[in-house]
Amino acid sequence: MIDMALRTELKSALIKQELSGGGWSYGSTVGQAALEPTCLSLLALRWDSGPGRSRGLELLLGMQNPNGSWPAFSGDDSDGSGLTALAVIALVNSGEMVLQTERGLEWLLSSKGRESHWLWRWKFRTTDTHVRFDPNKFGWPWQTGTCSWVIPTALSMIALKQAFVCCKPDRVSFRIRCGKEMLLDRACPGGGWNAGNGVVYGVPLSPHLDATAIALLALGGERRNDAIASALDWLERTAETRSAPWSLAWSILALDAYGRPVEALVDRLCALGDPGLLADSTTLAAVSLAIDCLVQGNVFKVIA
Amino acid sequence: MTRRSLLAGSFGLAAGAATAVPFLLPKYDRVRRPARSRVAIVRADEYSERLEGTLMSALRLFYLNIAGKSVLLKPNLVDFVPGVNVNTHPVLVSAAAECFRRLGARSVTVAEGPGHQRDTQLVLFESGFQNELAKQHIPFVDLNRDELVKIKLCTNYTGLGHLFLPRTVLSHDFIVSMPKVKTHHWSGVTLSMKNMFGAVPGTKYGWPKNILHWSGIQQSILDICATAPIHFVIADGIVAMEGNGPLAGTSRPLHSIVLSDDPVAADATCARLMGFKPEGIPYIYEAVKFLGNASTKLIDQLAGQVTAPDIPFKVVPEFEYLRAS
Repeated sequence: MIDMALRTELKSALIKQELSGGGWSYGSTVGQAALEPTCLSLLALRWDSGPGRSRGLELLLGMQNPNGSWPAFSGDDSDGSGLTALAVIALVNSGEMVLQTERGLEWLLSSKGRESHWLWRWKFRTTDTHVRFDPNKFGWPWQTGTCSWVIPTALSMIALKQAFVCCKPDRVSFRIRCGKEMLLDRACPGGGWNAGNGVVYGVPLSPHLDATAIALLALGGERRNDAIASALDWLERTAETRSAPWSLAWSILALDAYGRPVEALVDRLCALGDPGLLADSTTLAAVSLAIDCLVQGNVFKVIA
Repeated sequence: MTRRSLLAGSFGLAAGAATAVPFLLPKYDRVRRPARSRVAIVRADEYSERLEGTLMSALRLFYLNIAGKSVLLKPNLVDFVPGVNVNTHPVLVSAAAECFRRLGARSVTVAEGPGHQRDTQLVLFESGFQNELAKQHIPFVDLNRDELVKIKLCTNYTGLGHLFLPRTVLSHDFIVSMPKVKTHHWSGVTLSMKNMFGAVPGTKYGWPKNILHWSGIQQSILDICATAPIHFVIADGIVAMEGNGPLAGTSRPLHSIVLSDDPVAADATCARLMGFKPEGIPYIYEAVKFLGNASTKLIDQLAGQVTAPDIPFKVVPEFEYLRAS
């Protein structure tokens, strides 16, 4: 049963946390606008007609780097954050398919993990073999000049899939296919995803709820396979045992996108979702999006 | 010798010097190393309420001037791995917080930016920190999501030039690094200095902070610790980790808490307790030039003795050379 009063309270709390200059910071005590809380808040408030949303959008558009990427926070260097995809997702879902969105997409298409370079592929195949992965399968890095990791790859795939619903240009299809292969290659042996690799020094790593959920969202619409099935099972089983709102919220969004029942998890999240206890606006926005997904639709759901 | 060969020789010498000089010049701006360092090793067999008394007695040996200072406790909370002791124990952190309050600290804050797990609250919940911090009314700051300040690095081992660091780290008077004593498959050990990777924000550098790996883990340790200095160390060696650390190793009781006013001395001492040669750890080898002391001759042992174990800690094959026997 969705707690309608809580939905309203969460949105009011988000609006209250808006910074005076527009946008959102990570915490109520931090005055520095940041990309992730701003984008997630804009997504959570996408049906809101108040001035906070407009100011947030304006800030987001104004933050864009000259190269088309977005900085992680105001005052950041201008090389581009691994969360640039979130800005594109926020703009696409705001109906703002503006020039900035296109420039963001261009940057995403040009950004790739360092292992995509032949020299590093060679190194990872010959001398640096402690992490089990196929360097031919690359995605997106957190930072330019580093390797591909699960969350930036998954978010970039979601952004590309949402921005190009049909008639994908070849290079878009290529990056989505590479990203998919990379995610499947780096899944943990027992199901789900860790930050980036499934096996290090011969030892399987434990999956993370949020990385697994976001990877599953990115693989939405793809042909089901064992990796997706075991990740879904692991996510469903593990989410029941955890009490951290951020991870629960992402788990709900992923399970909902795959048609798995989420009502019991939503009830648990509602019980934990007291806005007074969620000082971090990123978590507040994610909780709001998760509780809303049964009513207003799942903003991260993609089709192939 | 002809004029031509003299000219060619001069060019060769100049080119060689231009190439070699950057490698020969020190990469630190000044020597911060104290004349002598102090270390105490206290025995503790379990994580219990008695730790506070043990820790207080040990801290008093250092005659620290804490009155009126803001103290930041930086534990190692890298991830939550069910069934594996990967983090500094919350009871030890809570005991340290109480001790610094009793020593007159103006404020005591616990802060960390987990390196693997994005959901900091999940790590706090599942590792028992949330309850412990709430019980003792100790504030917590997520360093991955704090306000960030661009800081020029004081040393040039990575070539990064600058890092964005959390305001909370930069604004506190007294930083206490509280690592879990562990082996590490990329860096050999992870102790008080490597623990400061947690001060590098994920918001900017991602999860994990991969840029530090690409720039060199040992080099990054030096740049970070020279720029955001550690004032004191309380290392959790009650139950340490050996083998494929920092996440997939196995527990190894060491029954020790290591305290020091010098992170280099603390890490060298922990390494010896693990049965390792500290000079074999590249960052310690370099840090003794400008940051702290590793030689036992320059360390005043305030309590306990450095006794190497009969069987050194297990390590991944690349660091087998560290094992002293």
